[in-house]
Amino acid sequence: MGLAIATGLWLAYSGMIALCLGLERHYKQVWGRPPSSSRRRALRATGWLALAASFAASVAAWGWAMGPIGGLGLVSLAGLALVLVLPYQPRLAIGTAVAGWPVLALATLAG
Amino acid sequence: MKQKTITQSLSWLHTWSGLLFGWVLFAIFLTGTLAVFDKEIDNWLRPEIPAHSLDSREAAQTALDYLQARHPHARTWNIGLPNERAPTLSVSTGEQRRGGGQALDPETGELLQVRETAGGGFFFRFHFTLNLPRLLGIWVVGLAAMAMLAALVSGIVIHKKFFKEFFTFRPAKGQRSWLDAHNATGVLVLPFHLMITYTGLVIFYLIYMPAASDALFGGDREALNRALRGMPEQHAGQGRQPPQEVAGPAPLTALPPLLAEAERVLGPLASLSIHNPGRGDARIEVRPLLGNRIELTKGQSMVFDGVTGKVLRAPAESRPSLLTQRVLAGMHFAQFGGYPMRWLYFVCGLASCAMIATGLVLFTVKRRRRHDGEGALGAALYTGAERINVSVVAGLALACVGLLWANRLLPFELAQRGGWEVRVFFLIWLATLLHACLRPWLRAWQEQLGLTAALCLGLPLLNVVTVNRGDYIPLEVTILVIGGLLAACAWKIGQPAPERALRVRTEVN
Amino acid sequence: MRRERGATRPQGLQTVNLSWPMLSRIVAAVLGGYAFTYAFTAALARLLPLQPADALIVATVLSFAVYTGAILWAFACRSATRAWAGLALGVPLALIGFWPQLLERLG
Repeated sequence: MGLAIATGLWLAYSGMIALCLGLERHYKQVWGRPPSSSRRRALRATGWLALAASFAASVAAWGWAMGPIGGLGLVSLAGLALVLVLPYQPRLAIGTAVAGWPVLALATLAG
Repeated sequence: MKQKTITQSLSWLHTWSGLLFGWVLFAIFLTGTLAVFDKEIDNWLRPEIPAHSLDSREAAQTALDYLQARHPHARTWNIGLPNERAPTLSVSTGEQRRGGGQALDPETGELLQVRETAGGGFFFRFHFTLNLPRLLGIWVVGLAAMAMLAALVSGIVIHKKFFKEFFTFRPAKGQRSWLDAHNATGVLVLPFHLMITYTGLVIFYLIYMPAASDALFGGDREALNRALRGMPEQHAGQGRQPPQEVAGPAPLTALPPLLAEAERVLGPLASLSIHNPGRGDARIEVRPLLGNRIELTKGQSMVFDGVTGKVLRAPAESRPSLLTQRVLAGMHFAQFGGYPMRWLYFVCGLASCAMIATGLVLFTVKRRRRHDGEGALGAALYTGAERINVSVVAGLALACVGLLWANRLLPFELAQRGGWEVRVFFLIWLATLLHACLRPWLRAWQEQLGLTAALCLGLPLLNVVTVNRGDYIPLEVTILVIGGLLAACAWKIGQPAPERALRVRTEVN
Repeated sequence: MRRERGATRPQGLQTVNLSWPMLSRIVAAVLGGYAFTYAFTAALARLLPLQPADALIVATVLSFAVYTGAILWAFACRSATRAWAGLALGVPLALIGFWPQLLERLG
């Protein structure tokens, strides 16, 4: 259960980052140049997919009755964390999402 | 022009309902957020209760042995069982149904000398009654919740363009930053805000809106309850009423198998009551712990024959409509989904607090440099709002942690010790208001946040110095983190004053 | 944003603008809105094709959304008079909700 929730949280965070970078202003904020329109579309699609996967992970962890509540909560908090870190350390905000996945994979293997 | 007027008047609604009810809403949300961990706080407040590894069946047997030895003639025995969140095993006699009672040592079966305390339940009760008389408090909190709903929905309408600026937060830019922070905490956590406010209203739905019950049942609650249970006569005759003839003596059935059966049906158990123990008409009523499912199962129970151990009444399944209401109420109580869900509610609750607090600050920041033109009344209002903000936000946090300190520092034997803890809570809160009125505005923020941070950071130390027992690592780590964050806030307020003044000036021009 | 404010001071930023129409709107929202919601809930519970207990729960659980809507209506519509006019719809709703009681009263 803990692992499913951690996966859900990380998917939510990664999804929020992808959605965020799918907006021109924030892409510029992080990389200093505007995104191509195909990249923007890809980022947005990835973002929504990740959020959907996060929702699925929550349902897997809590079941159909409680899962949606937990899933919405995870997405909210992931978004809030991103918004708070982004203006201070934009690269760190993205690095965390990337670095989280190997950690999660290790935890899965270990557990 | 028409469009603009609508936005304007909704923004008026948002601003003023947000300000006037924001103060009481902050208090409701902060104590509600703490109440997510009410049992854990309660454990901290009763350090005399030892941790143990007994399961609920063994603990129940211990309690039963005690009651049989000490209160053989009581009409009713009540046993509160320990669970995952709280190690307390409590016993009482008589019609006391829930809570209260004396704590037993689950290992030795002896009474424990536990300090009298307001307990973690204080935050829970304050959350929905504000410590007012119960019904009055429920109405005030309900009114505030309606104001919250109105402010949320009007906020969505007037801030609608901020959905486009979903991820935008521009720190250290004065008013702009406060607005960003208010929007970010409001918009991103919006599902939680709406859910928690609406489900809060649904808990007391028939108190707040008795219209349908007046129209369909003529306000007759008895008839209504019978209709809700869908079993007209059965319930009325059961349990509470004393039987006509007194049954002869008969030994009580063995508890463990009975509890095992109850656990199989109900999930983890919270408490049991044994009516007429030692007699032929003994009844054992077992109540489940809330949180095996979302549905708020408060009031549900299973009744056994105390002599034969047979099930007399299985828990009633709620009809779909009632289930809906109970699921909504259960979503508010957050007793389901275990600790991960509890943490989610806690952090989302903090985000709600942050949204309300940033909204309150935004109100004064927006008007801070503009109230010269508003006359004396306007100036007085804004100054007053600034002071109250300090006391409501920082002062309440100080009062909450102050209650924990009072729990350790008040003398053990003090009469009405629990009442004194509450008194300390309110005295501190009042003192913060005075302090906020006397000190310069920013200094007041800084000092109150700083003191709160110091009390949070010192709490583990206080525990070691005063009682030096108990294992509270999760709670203490949490409170250290909160203390650290508050200290950072206090430090930040003290820091870039010249820069801030400059920025305000350039923004005005 | 700042420029706009200087030009047409929005109401939200003034203190002593508690004019009569505004006061009227507040009363309409809080009291009128509650009365309207009360009537609406009673009528809805009466009209829903469910058993009384179910209709009662559904109508009452929904009532808070109705109240919120009524409050917003009182502030969003063009004038205070209109706000009251809208909420006056509560009267026929109350008649629907309480007609058995009314008949009893009348004879």
